[in-house]
Amino acid sequence: MELTILHLYPDCMSLYGEYANVMVLRRHLEAMGVAVTVETALFEDTPDVEHADFIYMGAGTERTQKAALSALLPHKEGLKAAIDRGAVVLFTGNAMEMLGLSITDAMGKRWPGLGLADFATLETAQRAPEDVIAHTELWDSPVVGFMNKCSMTEDVSVPLFDRLSLGFGNEEEKGAEGYVSGNVFATHLTGPVLVKNPDFVDFLIRRIFAVKEWELPETLPVLPYEREAYEVTVKELTGRN
Amino acid sequence: MRLFLAVVVCKVLRFIGGLIGKGSSLPGQFALKVCPNVLGRVKLPEHIIAVTGSNGKTSTVEMIAAILNASGKKVVYNKEGSNQIEGVTTLILSNCSLGGKMRGDVLLLESDERYARHTFKWFHPTHFVITNLYRDQLTRNGHPEWVYDAIKDAVFPETTLVLNADDPLVSCFAKDHDPAKVKWFGLDECSISTKEHHGVYHDGARCPVCKGRMEYACYHYAHIGHYSCPSCGHRRHDTDFAVTALDLKEGKLTINGETEISLAFKSIYNVYNILAAWSVCALAGADNAAMAGVINNYMLKNGRMITFRLGNHRGTLLTSKHENSVAYDTNLAYIADTGKPCTVLVIVDAISRKYFTGETSWLWDIDFDRLGCEHVQKVMLYGKYCNDLAVRFKYSHVPADKIEVGESIATAAEYLKENGDEDVYVVTCFSDRDKLLSLVERD
Repeated sequence: MELTILHLYPDCMSLYGEYANVMVLRRHLEAMGVAVTVETALFEDTPDVEHADFIYMGAGTERTQKAALSALLPHKEGLKAAIDRGAVVLFTGNAMEMLGLSITDAMGKRWPGLGLADFATLETAQRAPEDVIAHTELWDSPVVGFMNKCSMTEDVSVPLFDRLSLGFGNEEEKGAEGYVSGNVFATHLTGPVLVKNPDFVDFLIRRIFAVKEWELPETLPVLPYEREAYEVTVKELTGRN
Repeated sequence: MRLFLAVVVCKVLRFIGGLIGKGSSLPGQFALKVCPNVLGRVKLPEHIIAVTGSNGKTSTVEMIAAILNASGKKVVYNKEGSNQIEGVTTLILSNCSLGGKMRGDVLLLESDERYARHTFKWFHPTHFVITNLYRDQLTRNGHPEWVYDAIKDAVFPETTLVLNADDPLVSCFAKDHDPAKVKWFGLDECSISTKEHHGVYHDGARCPVCKGRMEYACYHYAHIGHYSCPSCGHRRHDTDFAVTALDLKEGKLTINGETEISLAFKSIYNVYNILAAWSVCALAGADNAAMAGVINNYMLKNGRMITFRLGNHRGTLLTSKHENSVAYDTNLAYIADTGKPCTVLVIVDAISRKYFTGETSWLWDIDFDRLGCEHVQKVMLYGKYCNDLAVRFKYSHVPADKIEVGESIATAAEYLKENGDEDVYVVTCFSDRDKLLSLVERD
């Protein structure tokens, strides 16, 4: 079992420790006997989307995000082809915004997006740095974490999270959050969201195994301290709520 | 009349506050209600020095005050660290005559990087020292460029900027500023400089102006060093004030090739704080001999290193700041440099004492690999977020068999009290340190 993870722009789109998402996914897959290769691409590179089974990008500053978008735009057909063949894609933080039709920055300038999703984003002069508890129908447990956004994303067809009990959704406080379509997942949650949420990792592993047509073991690996850390954060955030 | 009233209100409340030991922002808050533009109406001294940046504000301000006081100037400054507009108002009005004239030769302000624009709406500093910008309390601050934009709104044409030339983002403040009103300080390539970047993340990887790939001739620490961008030409500016030689092990530095200073605290951050203080004091007219006299072996009052005993252990608490990986890295580097067998206790219990958050992503920005050295015999991870720490350490160079994890800080202290006699280093934040210090014998 061999698998390739493509990590886009890790040198600058990892503002809140997002690189850890790739590390934790890799370690879970390796615990299942999968030989994982992690490829990285910088702005100057042509990302090898053709051979990628899992494609990830994390958050950056607003200015870095625009540079990342400019770097990725010439490769959008390749990215679309990868999505069409079932590659699992996860864009977190403001990388999510790049998938849509456009991003309008706080000065009013409109930046065309990748056009792989039908939403549009408006940046705001205020930030919403907030703890998050998010609920999805894709798996049972809530997702916990943090977001550090300064935007509203409008007209999301299918959100990843139906509602938040803490945090700022795509368009409003506690509203629906993120985006999902097939194997493309996006959320404005920043930081090591996969480290924080072992069930999210397991969900992605199931998707990856399905695409690769590998046989899924009855139980997925549980790595030390991850679930304990998750429980503490759930308890803390729920208590706060 | 309103000005007079505001001064009186502030002074009375300050007096009462002093009696009951209450904070320093309330009097200013009331004074601002009485006279919203009071800061624009008082007469301020000739020199108004402001200091901002992610790290080093308090230490730099303390040293500037000490130097200028020794140079015969009367300095009024916010030593209580109330660095938002209400605290600054309290400070200024408390030191005003009833006619609204501030006493003193220098008003010196530690300025909160996000709120400087509110404070300086009413008066503009003559000198604005900007020390550095990096990932610090991102749950409040967003990110360094967000903070940059906030400070930018507080930069006015008549202000002389005193900038850290070695920080590529800080250097951007000079872009639209009269070059005659920008002074630069920095560290020459020296014994501590490296060709390779060290740390988990590299916020200097991309040019802050054009986002092209930045090149570094050398790094001093994190993204601080000698950089140049081949794409747009943004590069480290030549310095007006420089540390021209540095021996951190010996604790000696040389400023501008002529003045040698001994360091009471041998850290690179102390070097930059000294240099920043030196630069602005020189600009304010202090002479070299007076400055050297004060700075030589200067012991900071806001010491963040506390020694104690616990059972047979000699302990040192190194105050870091949660949500600030650079502060952590400093202390981890210190431990790695000791070379003596030791146990390290890392505590993350309450992430902040000022606000609630469960955010732990900053743990992934800390270079815990620094503890992966032989003389660190045991690493104890404690507090409410011990599991998050434990997960983080699984991706570090510290072997799993050296790691111990538990929630209760009291249990950690009890264990140490009963076992062993090696040195103990405690790495934690202001928000959590008293939870341990209450269980040990302070020196």
